[in-house]
Amino acid sequence: MAYEEVKVQTPLYLKILPVLSICAFFGSWEFIVKTGIVPSTMLAAPSEVIKLFIVKLTDPNPDGAVLSQHAWISLKEAGIGYLLSLLVGLPLGLTMGWFTTVRGLFRPVFELIRPIPPIAWIPLCIFWFGIGLWGKVFIIWIAGIVPCVINAWVGVGMTNPTLIQMARTYGASDWQIFTKICVPSALPMVFGALQIALAYCWTNLVGAELLAADQGLGFLISMGRRLALPQMVVLGMVTVGIGGAVIGVLIDAVEKRLLAGIRR
Amino acid sequence: MVVDSGRTTKIEVKDLTKRFGNLVVLDKINFHVAEGEFLAIVGPTGCGKTTFLNCLSKLIPTSGGDIFIDGDVANPRKHNISFVFQEPTCMPWRTVRQNVAYGMEVKKFPREKLNQKLESILKLVGLTDTADLYPNQVSASMMQRIAVARAFAVNPDLLLMDEPYGQLDVKLRFYLEDELIKLWKTLKSTVIFVTHNIEEAVYVAERILVLSNKPTGIKAEVQVDLPHPRSMIDPEFVTIRKQVTELIRWW
Ligand SMILES: Nc1ncnc2c1ncn2[C@@H]1O[C@H](COP(=O)(O)OP(=O)(O)OP(=O)(O)O)[C@@H](O)[C@H]1O
Ligand SMILES: [Mg+2]
Repeated sequence: MAYEEVKVQTPLYLKILPVLSICAFFGSWEFIVKTGIVPSTMLAAPSEVIKLFIVKLTDPNPDGAVLSQHAWISLKEAGIGYLLSLLVGLPLGLTMGWFTTVRGLFRPVFELIRPIPPIAWIPLCIFWFGIGLWGKVFIIWIAGIVPCVINAWVGVGMTNPTLIQMARTYGASDWQIFTKICVPSALPMVFGALQIALAYCWTNLVGAELLAADQGLGFLISMGRRLALPQMVVLGMVTVGIGGAVIGVLIDAVEKRLLAGIRR
Repeated sequence: MVVDSGRTTKIEVKDLTKRFGNLVVLDKINFHVAEGEFLAIVGPTGCGKTTFLNCLSKLIPTSGGDIFIDGDVANPRKHNISFVFQEPTCMPWRTVRQNVAYGMEVKKFPREKLNQKLESILKLVGLTDTADLYPNQVSASMMQRIAVARAFAVNPDLLLMDEPYGQLDVKLRFYLEDELIKLWKTLKSTVIFVTHNIEEAVYVAERILVLSNKPTGIKAEVQVDLPHPRSMIDPEFVTIRKQVTELIRWW
């Protein structure tokens, strides 16, 4: 009854295809800008963006900070907001899924807040926190908490009821059932939440920075617009994109390790 | 208390009644189970066998009557009840070993005793080699063995089994039934085994309760005084099987 991992070889053409598609994408982009099909005042060619990227590595002008500084500020805001949303959202969602009292207490408030787009909080945030770090952290926190609560709650709800009965017949308490049966059952959904919340946090960060900031990647993008520098706008966008993708890949790797047993 | 066979009464069911709204499913059921007895219950589909076990294990409240273990009202927090469900109940995030240990963990067995018991049970049901795999890496019959091992591991006062082998093929069934008998003889637990299958009931049980249609009561009781291991072609076995079949004819 030995168990062997089945190894699947990726065929060569499947490895080449993604490289090809990326090359084609950037190639045609460069082409349409360089040949003037799209005027360079509207869109920057990839080569221009790379040039600016190299300059911005060391030169804080004209927007006041080097690229790494902007990226670091954004990362910090997003990171703090994200962690806070996990810290509050996951326990809240998990307990809402199992304890009727918690659900009764928090559900109405949650349902009221949920449909408000996080960006709508910006004016209030400026009243409360000014345009510094904590205002944006608050927006990101609001954005991330919604998927955390929903996924954790749904995850607990999907617990196999027979497992709960099984635990009851052994005399497990409600709390034991929650921690030993419901929470592990919800883990795949919770990891889904980590991904979704991250995407929400990162997008809303940029939104928040576009409107109220003096540093950060969103600020870089809006400065690019004000200074009529399309390459700066694109550089900001690309950095946001790469940043999000890298964090996504990291979370994926962690998830794969932690959930080895469930998904295998 | 002592019943006629000279064995101590372990379980006493008194006037057990269960209604869902107007639907009377269980109607004043009374019976005893002796300490260490292996009792089988057969009944038609939908007569309330699962409901009956759910009442016994206190998963759902009864509408009347009660069940006593050693003279006290049954209580899963206090008594040691195990339940093997109709469907497999393995936790996919735990290895086979951890799944088997679950019941003992809930009952707060001391570490050392738990490990000792765990290894001996794994060996008894032949799960030692697969102990570190996850449930989705083992076969369906293994899953049910995990549940059976977990149930026996806590030394239950009462072990309830709801058609545990209903979904397995005939050959595996015989094999697992033999294994069940072995476990029961080794660990001397009190077992109530629910099944559709008359042959299975006659093969494993010391006594068989035949249930009637809804509202369900006990229609007859059949003693099976044959030594284990039993043979299905033994004339005495065949006689008892026919007797039970005859009782069930009128379902
Ligand atoms: N929660 C419930 N509410 C209402 N009626 C129920 C409920 N649970 C069971 N019943 C009814 O009680 C009767 C007995 O159901 P039960 O599942 O106990 O039968 P069973 O003998 O275990 O059937 P099977 O042989 O299919 O396992 C059925 O008629 C069913 O419709
Ligand atoms: Mg049933």
